Amino acid sequence: MIHFVLADLKRFRLGSAVIVLLIALAVALGTTVTLQERALRLGSARASEKFDLIVGAPGSATQLVLSSVFLQPAALPLMPGDTLVALTEDPRVAWAAPIGFGDFVAGFPVIGTTTTLIEMTTTGFAEGRAFAAEGEAVIGSAVDLALGDTLVPTHGKQAEGGHAHAGIAYRVTGRLDPTGTPWDRAVLVPIQAVWHVHGLGHEAHDGHDHEAEGHDEEAHDADGHDEEDHAHAHAAGEDHAESHAENHGDDHGDADHDDHDSHDAPAFDPDAPLDETWAAGEAPGLPAILVKPRSIADAYRLRQDYRATGDTLAVFPAEVLTGLYAMLGDAKRVLVAVAVGAQTLVAAALLLVTVIQVGQRRRQIGALRAFGTPRGAVFGIVWLELALLFGTGILLGLGLGFAATEGLSRAFAAERGFPLPVAFAPGDLLGFGLLVLGAAGLSAVPAWLAYRQPPAAALRD
Amino acid sequence: MLGLHLSSVEVAYPGLAAPVLRIPDLDIPAGARVAVTGPSGSGKSTLVNIVTGLAPPGSGCVLWDGTDIARLPEGARDRWRGANIGLVMQDFHLFPGLSALENVLLPARLSRVADTAMKDRARTLLAEVGLDRPGQPVETMSRGEMQRVAVARALLRAPGVIVADEPTASLDPENGAAIGALLIDLAHRSGATLIVVSHDSRLTARLDRVLSLSGGEILSDSGCEGARQ
Ligand SMILES: Nc1ncnc2c1ncn2[C@@H]1O[C@H](COP(=O)(O)OP(=O)(O)OP(=O)(O)O)[C@@H](O)[C@H]1O
Ligand SMILES: [Mg+2]
Repeated sequence: MIHFVLADLKRFRLGSAVIVLLIALAVALGTTVTLQERALRLGSARASEKFDLIVGAPGSATQLVLSSVFLQPAALPLMPGDTLVALTEDPRVAWAAPIGFGDFVAGFPVIGTTTTLIEMTTTGFAEGRAFAAEGEAVIGSAVDLALGDTLVPTHGKQAEGGHAHAGIAYRVTGRLDPTGTPWDRAVLVPIQAVWHVHGLGHEAHDGHDHEAEGHDEEAHDADGHDEEDHAHAHAAGEDHAESHAENHGDDHGDADHDDHDSHDAPAFDPDAPLDETWAAGEAPGLPAILVKPRSIADAYRLRQDYRATGDTLAVFPAEVLTGLYAMLGDAKRVLVAVAVGAQTLVAAALLLVTVIQVGQRRRQIGALRAFGTPRGAVFGIVWLELALLFGTGILLGLGLGFAATEGLSRAFAAERGFPLPVAFAPGDLLGFGLLVLGAAGLSAVPAWLAYRQPPAAALRD
Repeated sequence: MLGLHLSSVEVAYPGLAAPVLRIPDLDIPAGARVAVTGPSGSGKSTLVNIVTGLAPPGSGCVLWDGTDIARLPEGARDRWRGANIGLVMQDFHLFPGLSALENVLLPARLSRVADTAMKDRARTLLAEVGLDRPGQPVETMSRGEMQRVAVARALLRAPGVIVADEPTASLDPENGAAIGALLIDLAHRSGATLIVVSHDSRLTARLDRVLSLSGGEILSDSGCEGARQ
């Protein structure tokens, strides 16, 4: 029977191919929607895994999470540096680490932080070691630089009018293991370096960012990074220059704390030893602090406390993401409805085509019967033929959907630095089963028509 | 090898004044070779449908060696036809994409009765009808060759009855004569009862008995007595 069915399909290979393609596209649409939504969920859940609680200045909780977890460039308001000191000394806090943004190296965000954060949020170094001096830097696994490279940060992405910090250069001392998060694309430097580069924590020191442009170019050439490197992939038009502007604003407000320090203004000194302890009044303003509470109860209490102060905001990234997922879920439901609609249309069109085809094959079917083929076999032939087309289409569609999602995820990973894991879940089996059942049922309709057809039709025209 | 007895068979269609076939009584003994002739629309194909069980008569009995196939349920009638009737039609009803051999074997395979012996028999039959390339795809064959394949297919399960409806009408005279001769020869060798519907007087002349239909009734029956040997 299968032989006859295959011969028949081969005869109508063009039509069969079109049918398979239609089914495959309809199935691929549904598959892609499901897989892509799941990939976004898994990917973002993984990215926020280590981020229990984030404290920042009052503003958008979502933006705080997007900027600190996903390193999305944005103008974040600053909170007083004393928040960091208070958190570090809080008995409910296992550890707390500052996160400072604003600079870029070759399109990679430069994040000012502490060795604690590196130690607690990564699995270790692929090569090299952590930064031990102000002018040292650690790169994420996806940063396209090498150990020993000299990095000149620009304030803001250069393609968007950012400018180089003249006379400032970091040296790469280590590369981290991959974490599968956006932080794989980050260049991590001591937070004190970020402060000093931006002239924070002391009296005005704003000459540094008005250096001649020529110097800027030179520095880059020395670095071995060509201009295209900076220009690529920054077309998104994010805006992050304000972060620095606010830095300055806060800087002046903070200045009176730092009076004792004002004579030997702590300008950027690559060889200055690492200092990761701050006394009250010492730390300048900060956009975000990552906090690891000792217990879940502590986490809730901390969030409560730091929400109440008025000049800070505390968020659980997981909670913010749940809110985003809910929106994502709504969008997915709409897309799934569209996909199901497309599938139904395809199914209806196919039903029409196959019923017509059975009509056109009355003679062939009648002849089979006339020569003694049992009705059951006639049913089987028509059913099998359609089921094969459906089956091939469905499998092809699943593959196509998977490939499309993989492609999208790759493009996303290249753009955003963290992969979206594409995977089928056990729950998909149900949908798959329903799809197969539906296809089997649909195939039975023309098969039943063929079954019921009287054999004498073969002798007529 | 099967004998037929029709009694008070009538086939009528709603809206038609007269029945398209009315045969009060007809006997065709086992092993007989009968031609059926008559003008177009006289009910020849209808008769073929009735005696092969492709369609049940509105009323009457169709007894083949005591089995009234008019009373069999459809599935049983299909099985009975597959085992006992070898059909050859004006249109060959071969299935493109399959070879001559596969076409010969197809109905038996779909009925799940094809075994090695039957495959050997299929090859032998193809050789007997004069085809020496059993693997040739049927769509590449000439019309004469196609009808030979159809004849081999009809004979595969050694049916007790061979029924042919205008087997030579779509062939040129030479091929028609050859096919006619083949049918008569093979039926003779297997002892099968042969019923051939044909306008071709050269073919009908070679058979023992000629039934002439007109308006659904048997107008004349040339060998009514002579056929009973
Ligand atoms: N399903 C049907 N409904 C109505 N009339 C029918 C039907 N089938 C056959 N007939 C009529 O029955 C008559 C006999 O038809 P049949 O096919 O047996 O003729 P035939 O002798 O084989 O003719 P031909 O030599 O042209 O093949 C015709 O008048 C035909 O119109
Ligand atoms: Mg006819």
